[in-house]
Amino acid sequence: MGCDRRNFMKGVAILGATPLISGGSMAQQQSGQSPQIPSGEVPKKPLGRTGVQVSAMGLGGYHLGSAETDQTANEIVAKALDHGVTFFDNAWEYHDGLSEERLGKALKGKRQQAFVMTKVCTHGRDKKVAMRMLEESLRRLQTDHLDLWQIHEVVYDNDPDLIFAPNGAAEALMDAKQQGKVRFIGYTGHKDPEIHLKMLSHNFPFDTVQMPLNCCDATFRSFETHVLPEANRRGIAALGMKSLGGSGELVKHGAVTPEQGLRYAMSLPVATTISGVDSMEVLNQNLGVAVNFKPLEEAEMQALRDQCRFLASDGRLELFKMTTKYDGKVGREQHHFPTVQELPL
Amino acid sequence: MGDEMPQTSTGTIPLRKFGRSDAKISALGFGGHHLGDAPDEKTAVEIIHQAVDGGITFYDNCWEYRRGKTEVWMGAGLKGRRDKVFLMTKTCPHGRDGSLALQMLEESLRRLQTDHLDLWQVHGMAFDNDAELFIRPGGAAEALEKAKKDGKVRFVGFTGHQNPKVHLAMLNTGFPFDSVQMPLNAFDANFRSFEQQVLPELNKRGIAALGMKPLSGHGDAIKHGVITVEESLRYAMSLPVATTITGIDSLEVLHQNLEIAQNFTPFSEAEMSALRERCKPDAADGRYELYKLSLKFDNPESRLAHGFPLDTQQSEVKDMLGAQMNTGHPFPEKQF
Repeated sequence: MGCDRRNFMKGVAILGATPLISGGSMAQQQSGQSPQIPSGEVPKKPLGRTGVQVSAMGLGGYHLGSAETDQTANEIVAKALDHGVTFFDNAWEYHDGLSEERLGKALKGKRQQAFVMTKVCTHGRDKKVAMRMLEESLRRLQTDHLDLWQIHEVVYDNDPDLIFAPNGAAEALMDAKQQGKVRFIGYTGHKDPEIHLKMLSHNFPFDTVQMPLNCCDATFRSFETHVLPEANRRGIAALGMKSLGGSGELVKHGAVTPEQGLRYAMSLPVATTISGVDSMEVLNQNLGVAVNFKPLEEAEMQALRDQCRFLASDGRLELFKMTTKYDGKVGREQHHFPTVQELPL
Repeated sequence: MGDEMPQTSTGTIPLRKFGRSDAKISALGFGGHHLGDAPDEKTAVEIIHQAVDGGITFYDNCWEYRRGKTEVWMGAGLKGRRDKVFLMTKTCPHGRDGSLALQMLEESLRRLQTDHLDLWQVHGMAFDNDAELFIRPGGAAEALEKAKKDGKVRFVGFTGHQNPKVHLAMLNTGFPFDSVQMPLNAFDANFRSFEQQVLPELNKRGIAALGMKPLSGHGDAIKHGVITVEESLRYAMSLPVATTITGIDSLEVLHQNLEIAQNFTPFSEAEMSALRERCKPDAADGRYELYKLSLKFDNPESRLAHGFPLDTQQSEVKDMLGAQMNTGHPFPEKQF
């Protein structure tokens, strides 16, 4: 598929007939019809100013815990590595540790091929809690160090204050780095660009910052507009996530095809785009886009923004910004919010 | 009535000016949504009768509350008392056409058993594109103008509880609103604050400010002992607003509120500041203002019009799915 707009749209229409979304029921119907993955690799990109290179597509850890069996998770990780995926995402709180355990098993004997990230889930609690979580994560991941350790889900307005309070999580990041337990440090969040900017305003030496980046975000409470340029200016590696809305909302509502959504996110000035994979079918689809990936032209990017503008304008496809749906259990507990069952949206 | 609660029949509640108009309304307003929680119509009617006798003149309601039940009950309660009150209800186009808003007006008038409203507001401005949808050709702004011109409503306004920026976008449409309704309480003061961002702008423009959610919408802060009912109501009523609307679902709550309102003296600025400071730690993440951070307080009409998922556990959604009438269709993309 070239950059010719007509071909581009045609390819999109074909893919649009059989969208694959991790967690989606359509994945099941696709068994045995894996798309051709071209020979070649997922390209590497620099991780900010660290001097390290990571794969332009990263494997999201949450969905690894949603995969049907340990065996499937193993196969997903092995095949991703084979095609040049090096960036592996996770978090202490995903599936109560199952996601980390599965990644740990799958990377056994292959640890040095991978760039392993996980996240700490203090949600406002102090350094001691953070360091205890780090030890648990290392044990589950069967490794003695992380390549990247990030503060997870900075989504409440007062999280930056709590993180940078004396004895807070920011100090834990520095300590872990000094002790050689983690190489790089960062933070993540899906709620509000203003909260991300408040984190950056502390001028803390973050190596990375993770945020939702997709065709709808481009015109709605936009991380792309407000945070991405600031991260780039500071030489902090930007990590994109939720390229299809978190659970494929952009695809399910017909805003984009999976391929359009992934291509858009990967074409932004980011180090990697983290995408959740819970089946071989979804992995094949993602690798089909990511192997030998060439960024879209600006005109194609703009066409996708325009195509999504109407559905973007009230946040209906970015529920992580507009509702509590994507706010995790541990964070809610620490902030005294109702449970997922009590307040689903 | 009367025997068991004589204090309510002789009470008076301070009256305040409704924006730049000559109308005056009671400093405490009767929230219509909770009227639907009364056990039956007879109780609801009794609550309204005692509220009128107790000096409440401002009555809030909305086309989409409980699929019309609260308007019907309020209409029954105000029968023979219509002239004593300042009656407001809201229309629920949620971005859809002005013609739909006008159909809702006719239904509201019929349910409320009246030929005119004192105030008609566009309900639940919540989403970043709501102002644009409101002012578009064929949008709800045209309905407000027409209803006022036809003499069916005296004043017009809008409401919302999500985001001060959405309120400011509505004001920036340039539409001549008479009133604006918003959550005002001691938690709001320090979190995505309507008090700080919207209230001063309304006072500058002479638009009547109507406070709501003085107990932060669900009373959790009171249950957790962070603040008392009296402190909450006094805080909200001490702000520069025309009225503070609070939900009333029983005679017990009515009597409690009447007592506070009848004996109302404003907090001093020092007392206000002290209360804000006390609530500040709990205000900081919005835990007591879930209406700003979730869709819990957004009615199903609003969610459907904007293409958001429904929460089938929500009582309003259950009401709606069981109802015959259901306008739950989206606003048209073409006209946007």
